[in-house]
Amino acid sequence: MVSKRFIAKRLLLLGPVLFGVATVVFAILHLSPGDPAIAIAGERASQEFVEQVRSDLGLTDPLWEQYVRFIRDTATLDFGESYQVRRGTAVGDILADRLPITIELAVLGQIAGLLFGLPLGILSAVKKDTLTDHFSRVGALTGISVPIYWSGPLLILLFAQVLGILPTSGRIGSTYFIDSKTGFILIDTLLAGNLAAFQSAALHLVMPVIVLGVYSMAFISRMMRSSMLEVIRQDYMRTARAKGQGAKTTVMKHGLRNAFIPVITIIGIQFGSMLGGSVLTETVFEINGIGTLLVSAINKSDYPVVQATVLVFAFMYTIVNLLVDITYSVLDPRIDQ
Amino acid sequence: MSTKTHSSDVERSIVDRIRASPFLTELLSNRIAVAGLSLIIGLFAVAIYARLVYDLDAIIATSFGSNPTEAAPSAQFWFGTDGQARDIFPRVLYGAWYALKFGTATVLASTALGITAGIVAAYYGDLTDNVIMRTMDVLLSFPSLLLALALVTIFPESLGLWRAVAALTLVYTPRFARVVRGAALKVLEDEYIEATRALGATDPRLLIRHVLPNCLAPITVQSTLNYGLAIIDIAALSFLGFGANPGDPSWGMMLANGVEKGLFSGAWWWSFFPGLFLALTVLGFNLLGDGMRDALDPRMRDAVD
Amino acid sequence: MPGDNNQVSRRRFMKSAGSATVVATAASSVSGCLGGNGSGGGTLRYGRSAHSKTLDPQDTTSGEVSKVTNQIYDGLIDFQPGEAAITESLAVDWSMEGTDVTLELREDAQFDDGTDFTADDFIATYRRFVDEEYEYHVGDLSSYGPFTLGNWIDSVEADGDYMLNITLTDPYAPFLRNLAMFAAVVLPQDAIEGDFDFATNANGTGPFQLDKLDNSNGKIKLTPNDNYWGDGPNVDQLLFLERGQNSTRTQALIEGELEIIDNLGPNNIGQVEDSDAAEVQSGEGINIGYMSFNQSRVEAFRDSRVRRAISYAIDTESIVSEVYSGIAKQADQPCPPALFGHNDDLSPYPHDTEKAQSLLEDAGYGDGFSFDLTTFQNARGYNPAPMSTAESIRTNLREIGIEVEIDDRQFSDYLTYTSEGKHDASLAGWYTDNADPDNFYYVLLHPQVESPEGQDWVDWDTEGYNTSNRTAWANQEFMDLIEDAQQASDKDKRAELYHEAAQLAYDEAPWVYIDYADEIRGVRNTVNNYEVSAIGGPHLHLVDVE
Repeated sequence: MVSKRFIAKRLLLLGPVLFGVATVVFAILHLSPGDPAIAIAGERASQEFVEQVRSDLGLTDPLWEQYVRFIRDTATLDFGESYQVRRGTAVGDILADRLPITIELAVLGQIAGLLFGLPLGILSAVKKDTLTDHFSRVGALTGISVPIYWSGPLLILLFAQVLGILPTSGRIGSTYFIDSKTGFILIDTLLAGNLAAFQSAALHLVMPVIVLGVYSMAFISRMMRSSMLEVIRQDYMRTARAKGQGAKTTVMKHGLRNAFIPVITIIGIQFGSMLGGSVLTETVFEINGIGTLLVSAINKSDYPVVQATVLVFAFMYTIVNLLVDITYSVLDPRIDQ
Repeated sequence: MSTKTHSSDVERSIVDRIRASPFLTELLSNRIAVAGLSLIIGLFAVAIYARLVYDLDAIIATSFGSNPTEAAPSAQFWFGTDGQARDIFPRVLYGAWYALKFGTATVLASTALGITAGIVAAYYGDLTDNVIMRTMDVLLSFPSLLLALALVTIFPESLGLWRAVAALTLVYTPRFARVVRGAALKVLEDEYIEATRALGATDPRLLIRHVLPNCLAPITVQSTLNYGLAIIDIAALSFLGFGANPGDPSWGMMLANGVEKGLFSGAWWWSFFPGLFLALTVLGFNLLGDGMRDALDPRMRDAVD
Repeated sequence: MPGDNNQVSRRRFMKSAGSATVVATAASSVSGCLGGNGSGGGTLRYGRSAHSKTLDPQDTTSGEVSKVTNQIYDGLIDFQPGEAAITESLAVDWSMEGTDVTLELREDAQFDDGTDFTADDFIATYRRFVDEEYEYHVGDLSSYGPFTLGNWIDSVEADGDYMLNITLTDPYAPFLRNLAMFAAVVLPQDAIEGDFDFATNANGTGPFQLDKLDNSNGKIKLTPNDNYWGDGPNVDQLLFLERGQNSTRTQALIEGELEIIDNLGPNNIGQVEDSDAAEVQSGEGINIGYMSFNQSRVEAFRDSRVRRAISYAIDTESIVSEVYSGIAKQADQPCPPALFGHNDDLSPYPHDTEKAQSLLEDAGYGDGFSFDLTTFQNARGYNPAPMSTAESIRTNLREIGIEVEIDDRQFSDYLTYTSEGKHDASLAGWYTDNADPDNFYYVLLHPQVESPEGQDWVDWDTEGYNTSNRTAWANQEFMDLIEDAQQASDKDKRAELYHEAAQLAYDEAPWVYIDYADEIRGVRNTVNNYEVSAIGGPHLHLVDVE
């Protein structure tokens, strides 16, 4: 079992790390040249008006005062109000809207990646150094070598423009207005009992999930393969085979369970690039998740939104890695934490 | 493990180690690695050719009047022309030079920084180690592209693609630092280091002569994988609007313009060729890196993402 | 279906440059005749590049916000669809003598919650916008408060329920047009003084009312306002939908996911033209795209020969025809041709490298020099391709020995940088607020400070300098003409003064005049009675969908 001390220690470390993240974000924002005041006031504004806005936002206070205020507010989970996205709306509310959208996409992408990546990796390991192996490895590597911002538009060109079987972009057909209960569109449409809307939402998700899935598939199959090979080389596998069990059953019985362990680690690491990938995927397919939120907030110097979004990304990333470590030690008791 | 203390003997032992390493032999027998290596050699050839043959000013200049705008590939314009009536072919070739130049800069800078941070942390231990490695933890808890996206804005626009290099260097550094610190700690535990230190060898000599060769292999693999990543991330930053100067023959920029302005209105060639070259280049590094991982000692393999 | 090509109902025209306003030909049907709430049914889906950040017209400078609020709210005065002329709206008659403005209000208008519109609603609206003493003052949210009303109005009084008397601080000819601006629309007093959230709710006298606001998917649904005093609307629902990229927005139009799209890039036009299902509709824009010389910073730019040389060297004809694919007209003066302040006798600087070279030599810059050209990165209404424009300029100027370094920035960064006068030269532009020439000449080229003796430029850091003038140009003769025109009440007199100012601005070349961009929309063939408006629009209440 995982020791409680291990988990407690990791959770305690989360605080300082997030504090560090908050400090880094604050520093980055105040070093960058964007000007939130003029972004709000607009190009028609007089100099005095811009100054007025700047002081209203507290941006004329000494930097250390702004920093202390920011850390204090963040510690109490008060992320402030957006300068730009519906001005004056609590950033927490905006994130609550946007976060499920990104999570839904990332989770579906991860599932697709596992669904195709695991069998591919196993196949590759079992048929090591055959044509199948080379083919699937090169295929997987090609998957991560083609940038999302190229493969995405190519898919749109093919499925939306040429074949006309999938919608171009967005999350759901324009005429559906579904109440957001969970924020996950597939669930919300089902809760609303609107099957047509569900179908529309599902079709909109096809291309983004393919793009993200291919990306994660490549990593997962690569990890599955090498971990599978490692396991096959182990003594007990040879023993099992020597006992006369068929190669196939051997693989299934002994190999898989042990081979999965490192794959779980890669899923954690993968989740980070998934979040990063979601920025590009959301941009390409025009999905209003926190990825697109972050890009537009950076463009408009919307400090509170950038700060909160990056903190949330870092928090999710850290938590997922913690969960991975815990799962890892549960599955593999040999590891002494 | 050698316990000889004369410095030239130490040097010799390092050379022997590298030579004796099954790494290179194994690497060259790995088909995937060889395929990757061939792609990369081809890319270098293209890059150097383009750098020598083409005049950068000429391929950046708009060519209204002399060339047709958005012309399809033909005998005259192999890869067609873009919205500024520029011939795409020389631009795509020159893009290889850009990719290598900025990719190499990113990888070298982050490797050097990471090695320094890792070795210093391992050698001095205690507080130094803690400060350095906790900073690395903080940097690692950002998804990499997001951190790069935030960082890139703090460098002046006039730096162009060097902004992306600077941002990505900071993003990649922690990965190297971790690998190097782990390897360095192992070496430092070895007796012979203790012995060398007792004879008064200075810190830098110790660190460089003994620690570095021992983590050369994992660093090389990490660098190779990062090479591909750097090229793709630099292009991604350009795609999101943080990077190349207008007109620069960078694949990311050409791809962004071509997708936005040409792909859906029929001018597919505008983005297709830059995209193809970008993907092949990244594939080259990924194939090589993957092959290297296979060739690597399994104990070391764990250290590499 | 290829067969559609021959059908009469297929209206297909892409107006060529130089033409006036496009009038939507009623190729279709009787549904063009309207009355009351004769809803023809159907859904009108309007695709645009960004979602509304708010529904509060007093809390924004964004054109995207006004596209929606213009459907829900009315101003006292409105712009005529497709024209720069003003027309009645909540006010049915008005007069302006010197500083006294009197407006007679409509008695049959109601807000969509059923309360009657009266003069007090406008007063509450005005106070919410600009009166800091007022308990319900909106705060320093939008610079449009002072810009539209605050700077000009001394007092507003009601004379009964349906008469307003406004006193101005100074005579100001364009004032009535300011009342027609989107930011001056009338909000209900009850809501202002009650607990009403204008950012997420709406209650106006306009043709549509808010039905649903979906911020996470960038969608807004409007339905007809049953209490609307005018004609229309003719659809059951009007949706505003966000599609960020030009390419996907265009794609969605062609596939029938949208009925009307705006903000088409030069590269999407062909795509729409090639489609059997939709067409490109264009109207004359009221904007200008230009390059400004910062005379406060670069000494060479203080010599008008250098400015003229650069104007000759830059091939604006190619920029307009190739880079902008002809969706703009070549510019030759500060004020666009749609307005009476435009001088028709002028014509664009021709592309003449030799003349440019000899002017440079005269000025002592025969060996060339170098400067940074600051530009924003993404397309704006007046400049459909800023980066490509900058690239063309760099190429052109290299031919006369001038080295240009392009300095591209995100828009807000660009605004700060250039408003602080740090640029050598910058790409810039303006689209009109109120369709008055003053909105170009005074706002963009008058320094609003004294011109120093013996020179026609000012130091950027002069106290009170109008930083919207990105050139530091301060030509006394020009300034006098513009001030006279601002105060003159006779339109012909004003036109004459402006034409003279245009000639001066042409000869002195404080800007390189680049383009007047057309207003371009993609419209499906099922849409009738849609007319492209450069200002005050989109006018959608009369539109119907087959």
